[in-house]
Amino acid sequence: MFFAGVDIGSTAVKVVMLDQQGKVVGCETTRTGYRGAENAWHLLKGLLAAQTGVTPEVWGRQGGDPAKLPVRVVATGYGRHKLAQAHRQVSEITCHARGAYHLEPGTATVIDIGGQDSKVIRVAQGGTVLDFAMNDKCAAGTGRFLEVVAGALEENVDSLGRLAVASNQPVAISSTCTVFAESEVVSHIAAGSSKENIAAGLCLAVAERVAGMAGRIGVQPRVVMTGGVAHNRGVVRALATMLGLPVEVLPDPHLVGALGAALLARDAFANNQPKT
Amino acid sequence: MAELRYRRLQTLNRLPRLMGNHYLAARYLRYVRPVAWITSGAPVEIIRAMGILPVYPENYGALCGSRQAAGTLCQVAEARGYSRELCSYAKCNLGSLAEPRQAPLGGLPRPTVLVACNNICGTVTKWYQALARDLRVPLFLWDTPFSPGELTDGGVAYAAAQLREMVRFLERHTGHKLHQDRLNRVMDKSREASRLWSEIRLLGRHRPSPLNASDLFIAMAPIVVLRGTDQAIDFYRELKAELAGRVAKGEGALPVERYRLVWDNIAIWHKLLRFYGQFLDHRACFVADTYTGGWGTVMEGDDPLTALARTYTGVFLNRGLAYRASQMVELVRDFGAHGFVMHANRSCKPYTLFQYDIRRMVTEQTGVPGLVIEADMADPRSYAEEAVKTRIQAFMETLDG
Ligand code: SF4
Repeated sequence: MFFAGVDIGSTAVKVVMLDQQGKVVGCETTRTGYRGAENAWHLLKGLLAAQTGVTPEVWGRQGGDPAKLPVRVVATGYGRHKLAQAHRQVSEITCHARGAYHLEPGTATVIDIGGQDSKVIRVAQGGTVLDFAMNDKCAAGTGRFLEVVAGALEENVDSLGRLAVASNQPVAISSTCTVFAESEVVSHIAAGSSKENIAAGLCLAVAERVAGMAGRIGVQPRVVMTGGVAHNRGVVRALATMLGLPVEVLPDPHLVGALGAALLARDAFANNQPKT
Repeated sequence: MAELRYRRLQTLNRLPRLMGNHYLAARYLRYVRPVAWITSGAPVEIIRAMGILPVYPENYGALCGSRQAAGTLCQVAEARGYSRELCSYAKCNLGSLAEPRQAPLGGLPRPTVLVACNNICGTVTKWYQALARDLRVPLFLWDTPFSPGELTDGGVAYAAAQLREMVRFLERHTGHKLHQDRLNRVMDKSREASRLWSEIRLLGRHRPSPLNASDLFIAMAPIVVLRGTDQAIDFYRELKAELAGRVAKGEGALPVERYRLVWDNIAIWHKLLRFYGQFLDHRACFVADTYTGGWGTVMEGDDPLTALARTYTGVFLNRGLAYRASQMVELVRDFGAHGFVMHANRSCKPYTLFQYDIRRMVTEQTGVPGLVIEADMADPRSYAEEAVKTRIQAFMETLDG
C-alpha cells in the first residue's frame, strides 16, 4: 500500500507519495491551471506507475475508483473537494502542521504563505494544530500579491527575493491592495528607485501583514516557513527581523502541505488496521 | 459525509404569519394610527403604550438579507453616495426608499416620527438624521451614555430624563397621550416575553442541546419587533413548551451532537441555512450566542422610565471590552462549549471592534479555541465561500485534535 498527499493549491498542484514505511518514494508538481484535479490525477498515475510497473493507462482505464487503488489519498488545498480519487479531504492548515512537524520535530510555529492564503499555525507536540490565523479581507500578504507586483518589475517571486536581499534602502509600499501596490511600484520605478530597493519594499509589505497576523495567536520558537513563497529570501529575512526570531525554511517548502497530507493518509490507514 | 437532517422546530412555522401580520398591520393601520421607525435598542414599550405602531428598519435589513435582496439595495444606496463601509441595514433601508420596486414588501410604510437610540452604535444617529432630512419627519435621538464599567446612577438618571422629553416629543407630533397604566401593562408584557426568551436560551445548556443558534436567529423576530404584545408571549410559551418536550425526550437539535459551540455577532442572514449547515456536517451545534441575548434582560425597578433607562443603557453593545469578554467566558463555561466562532461583521463596527482581544481573553480563561470568520450580516458581497469553508474545516480539525 502507498500513501499520497495531493495539494491542489490556487497556483500549483503538488503530489507526494510515501511507501508503507513512510519513506518518500516520489513527488511531482505542476501548475494548477483550469483542470487542477485532472492534472493531479495525471501526476498520481505517473507516480503509481513508477512504483508498481503498471502503466498509467491501466490506472486510467479503471477510472480512478479510490476503492481499487493501491494508494490511500488525502487531498488538501483549494481544489481538495474536486479530486475524485481522494479518500479524505483535510484542510491545508492541518496538513502543513503535520508535514512541518515531521520534518522538524521542534516546530512550534508554521508560517505558510501560499497563493491565496497566508497562515500562521501554532503546532502542538505531535504535529496537531493548537491555533491558527489566516489572512483576512483580501489577498494582501499572499503569494499572489508577490506574483503580481513582481510582474511589474519583470521578475518572479523567487528572483524578487534575491534582489531584495541586495537592497540597502527599501522603498515604502503603503497600500495593502495588490492592484494599488502595483501602481505604487510603477511610480517608484518612475521616481528612479532601484529594482533592489523596490523588491525589498514589497517583501517587507508582505512580511508586515504576516507578522501582524502572527501577533494575534502569538509566535513561539522554532518558527519554520512552508509554502512556495518560502523560496523568496527577501520575505524570509524581513519576517525574521519583524518577529525577532530566526525563521527556518524547510527543504522543498512548497511540498510540505502535500507531505503532511500523505502522512495523514498513512496515519489513518495505520489506525484502521487491526492491532496485532 | 452522510446526509444529516436538521430537526426543525414546529413552532417556527407560525412565524411567517405572525411577522407577515405585523408588516401588514403597519401598512394599513398607518392610515389611522401614527407610525414610528425605531432602532432595535429604542424603548418600544413607551411607543406601544402610546398607541403608535413601531416599525424596525433593522429587522427589515435582516429580512432583505435573508431574501437575497440586500446586495442590490446596498448598491442602490452606494450609487447615491453612501459609503461601502456603511452598515448594510442602513443601506438596505436607504436603498429601499430610493428603489421601492427592488425592495421586499415594497419597502416599509412611511413613518410619522423617528426614534433612534445610540446604545447600539453611532451609525444609527447619522442614519436616522439622513432619514429625517430625506423624509422630512421629526426625529428624537436618545443618548445613552457608553458604560465601560458598571452603570452609574448619574448615567441612568441622564437617560431617564431624556425619556420624559421623548414622551413630550411623541405627544406633540402624534397627538397621542401616554397613560401610566397602559405603560405598566405593556412593560409587564415586555418583561414576560424577555423572561421566556431568556429561559428558552438557557435550554441550550442541556446535552444534547434542544436548539441551535440558527433556531434562535429565526425565532428572535418577535422579541425584537413584538416585544410588549400578547402575540410575543404566546409564541414564546409555545416555543418553550416544544423545546422542553425535546429535553424531556433527550432529543437534540442535531441528530448527533459531537461539539458544542458559542456564536458571537449578528447572524449571517443571507446564508443562514448554508452557513450553519456546514457545522451540521461536523456535528457541531451552536448551543449559545451573544447576539440573541441582547433581548433577554428582564427590566427591574418600580419607576417605569428609570427601569427602561437602566435596561436600555445596559445593553452589551453599550458596554466595554471587559464586560463583553466576561459575557463570552460565562457562555462558554455555563453551556459547556468546546469552542467559539466569532463573525467579524463588516457592517457592525461596535460589535466587531474588540473581537481579536475577546478571542484571546476567552481562550486564556477557558482554554477553548475560537475562530474568526469574515462576512457581513446582510450583504453577500463580503463573503468568500471557499475561504470561509477552509477556515471552518481547519477549526473543526483543531477540535478533533
Ligand atoms: S452598525 Fe451594528 S448596531 Fe448599528 S445598526 Fe448596523 S448592525 Fe445595528
